[in-house]
Amino acid sequence: MRSKKQSGGKWNKYLTAGLIMTGLALLLGVVGFFWTPYSITAMSAGERFDPPSLRHLFGTDNFGRDIFSRVMKGLGTTVVIGSLVVLFSACAGILLGALTGYFGGLLDEAVMRITDAVNGFPSILLGLVLISILGNGRQNVILALGIVFVPSYVRIVRSEFIRLRDADYIRRARLMGVKRLRILFVHILPNIFSVFWVSVMIGFNNAILAESGMSYLGIGVQPPDASLGKMLSDAQGYLQSAPWYALAPGLTIVWLVLGFSLFSEGVRKRQ
Amino acid sequence: MVRIENLSVAFDGTEVVKNVNLELADGEILGVVGESGSGKSVTALTLMGLVADTAQMTSGRILFDNIVLREAGREPDQELYRRYQGAEMSMVFQEPMTSLNPTQRVGRQVEEMLRLHTDFTKEKIRERVLETFVSVGLRDAEKVCESYPHQLSGGMRQRVMIAMAIILHPDLVVADEPTTALDVTVQNQIIQLLREINKREQNAMLFITHDLNLARRICHRIAVMKDGCVVEQGKTEDIFRSPRREYTRKLIEAVPSRLQRRVSVMSGRFLTGGAAGGELRQEAVPILQVRNLSVFYREGGNSLFAKRRRHCVVEGADFTIYRGESLGLVGESGCGKTSLSKAILGMNEDISGSVIHESVRPQMIFQDPYSSLNPAKTIGWLLQEPLRAAGVLDPSLAMTKGDMEAAAYDMLRRVGMEEKYFHRKPSQLSGGQRQRVSIGQALITRPGLIVADEPVSALDVTIQAQIMELMQGLQQELQLSFLFISHDINVVYKMCDRIMVMKEGKIIEIGETEDLFEHPAQEYTRQLLEL
Repeated sequence: MRSKKQSGGKWNKYLTAGLIMTGLALLLGVVGFFWTPYSITAMSAGERFDPPSLRHLFGTDNFGRDIFSRVMKGLGTTVVIGSLVVLFSACAGILLGALTGYFGGLLDEAVMRITDAVNGFPSILLGLVLISILGNGRQNVILALGIVFVPSYVRIVRSEFIRLRDADYIRRARLMGVKRLRILFVHILPNIFSVFWVSVMIGFNNAILAESGMSYLGIGVQPPDASLGKMLSDAQGYLQSAPWYALAPGLTIVWLVLGFSLFSEGVRKRQ
Repeated sequence: MVRIENLSVAFDGTEVVKNVNLELADGEILGVVGESGSGKSVTALTLMGLVADTAQMTSGRILFDNIVLREAGREPDQELYRRYQGAEMSMVFQEPMTSLNPTQRVGRQVEEMLRLHTDFTKEKIRERVLETFVSVGLRDAEKVCESYPHQLSGGMRQRVMIAMAIILHPDLVVADEPTTALDVTVQNQIIQLLREINKREQNAMLFITHDLNLARRICHRIAVMKDGCVVEQGKTEDIFRSPRREYTRKLIEAVPSRLQRRVSVMSGRFLTGGAAGGELRQEAVPILQVRNLSVFYREGGNSLFAKRRRHCVVEGADFTIYRGESLGLVGESGCGKTSLSKAILGMNEDISGSVIHESVRPQMIFQDPYSSLNPAKTIGWLLQEPLRAAGVLDPSLAMTKGDMEAAAYDMLRRVGMEEKYFHRKPSQLSGGQRQRVSIGQALITRPGLIVADEPVSALDVTIQAQIMELMQGLQQELQLSFLFISHDINVVYKMCDRIMVMKEGKIIEIGETEDLFEHPAQEYTRQLLEL
């Protein structure tokens, strides 16, 4: 964060809007971990399909559960999974990208062909295959999506390392006798953060969408855990009679992704 | 012919050209000289009507043959300009590679000028292009016509650009640093050509350059610009003989000239009058010995399946550098200077022969001060890094944090910078300051030998002089040896005790600076030094 401040960019509208939208969503998600207005599993037969009201902000679903509470919990789940996916794939991406980009040769050739192969599959499809191998569950969703997203980071990091490995200041570092790992991670890595940061933020959005998509298909987080994607698929049958059931999780996803896009655009513009 | 009256141009409210008055007569070459940022290019572009839309003309007007081309407060008349551009006034740019379209044969690109401005028949156009090509010294005109830009050398491309500029016999040619991107020997030919054209066509020429020596050789009159103002204007010889302004004098003094005798740090080291490079006195200690060194280069890149071919880029180099001496290495680009220096530094693995160092790892100073410092780090960190690295390699050299910091501060002072820069980042420094830090970074481990690859050629002349002074001062203080690579003969003359001339991978001559300049043994050396 410190380096961002020093780069001396300007505050802009994208950043403001993005921060407000993301901040609000994150706040809801975080609060949802500790407290929700109603228990997310509390069913109430008398209150099935209540439209949004002060009592139930987003209305209730087919079991009479409070949708607002479920959205809060679902947001938390989605954000946590999205972040962990990005963390996993970004770390793996940096490691592989740095090594392949800097050293090139056989390792580079091998890793790049594997990433080509991974890239060849549609990401959701590949996620499905991995889940069916690994089995359901939170960790496996993270692992599967993480693997799916690694290639995009490898490519970015690799091309930056290739660009910088022959820069004059890296040549000098080599001349000074700086050890290779230190050159990789102390001399080069800080210089790619501005590029990497943007792709991490785009990747976060993609991860959130992918997680929602997988939950929607029923292979993500399992009930009774709430998940935005799962709520969407549950709401499918009641689109006409209770549109709020689908709108609430749907718009929440849009809100979160849009907010984060604006935020990353704002950061990019500052650089 | 051309009159620029009281011209001011502003970008976003900041004036970069202030009340400039210039006048150009037929057949005259006017040099506009100044350091980067002095507004010389903006003036020329405004004259040509090529300046960016964000620029505003805040005062003055431009007259061409007594017709007002442009006036402050009025939108530029694009129609009027189009009539003049190309036909009456044309421009030669600095970078011949980017000013030609890479996807079109050059003949076509030159023909386009005629198609746009004349109603000649196809045959006539062709004939005219060939004629012009011959007149700018492109011998095989037919073949050049059919070539793409990348198939031509830099000098040939610049000749094509000049052909394009003069094919319609314009009254005014604006040349914006036309030789800066070229090799020295080619540079000379182009200057010669421009002078000839000027004589033959009797057109007016506006010659923009940062190089006073160059301006002196070609211009009738010179205007010196600084911070957007013309500070002095007059006949070339008058300006050089008796500059009226302090700034002009400084500029002239800053340019390393052969008229100023160099004060050798090695004076007395060499016995004068020696036959081949001077005999050495007893105390001369070799710091680097290169014996029969050849450097090879593998073509074909990094890819796994690429075919590889082995080229010999340096052949049988044999020389010695002594303590406290600077050895100049000159030659055209592509002659193997850089490969040789890399081999000495151990950055090139495919070599034969031997390189014997008598000191700790030699370090290097690069040409471009903007890419030789890691932008993510602070100056203090950068200065300490060589010490940290040395400590890791050899535990006996390891220093405490405090000692390293003290050494870094000390070095900062030695290279003439204030302590406050310690916590700044390279992006907050000017080119000259960066080069100072670069020098400091190279020197902090106290290597005996520094390889300096064009260390001042990316800098403005006044900064250039400061950096050279700094290097000479440090050399004396620390008994350093330099291998000084440069294409600028004057810089080499000023900095070096001995000079080594390279051509096509071979060292063809080596000798004491004065000797070499006065009695070059090789024809090629003479050509190179004549400039």
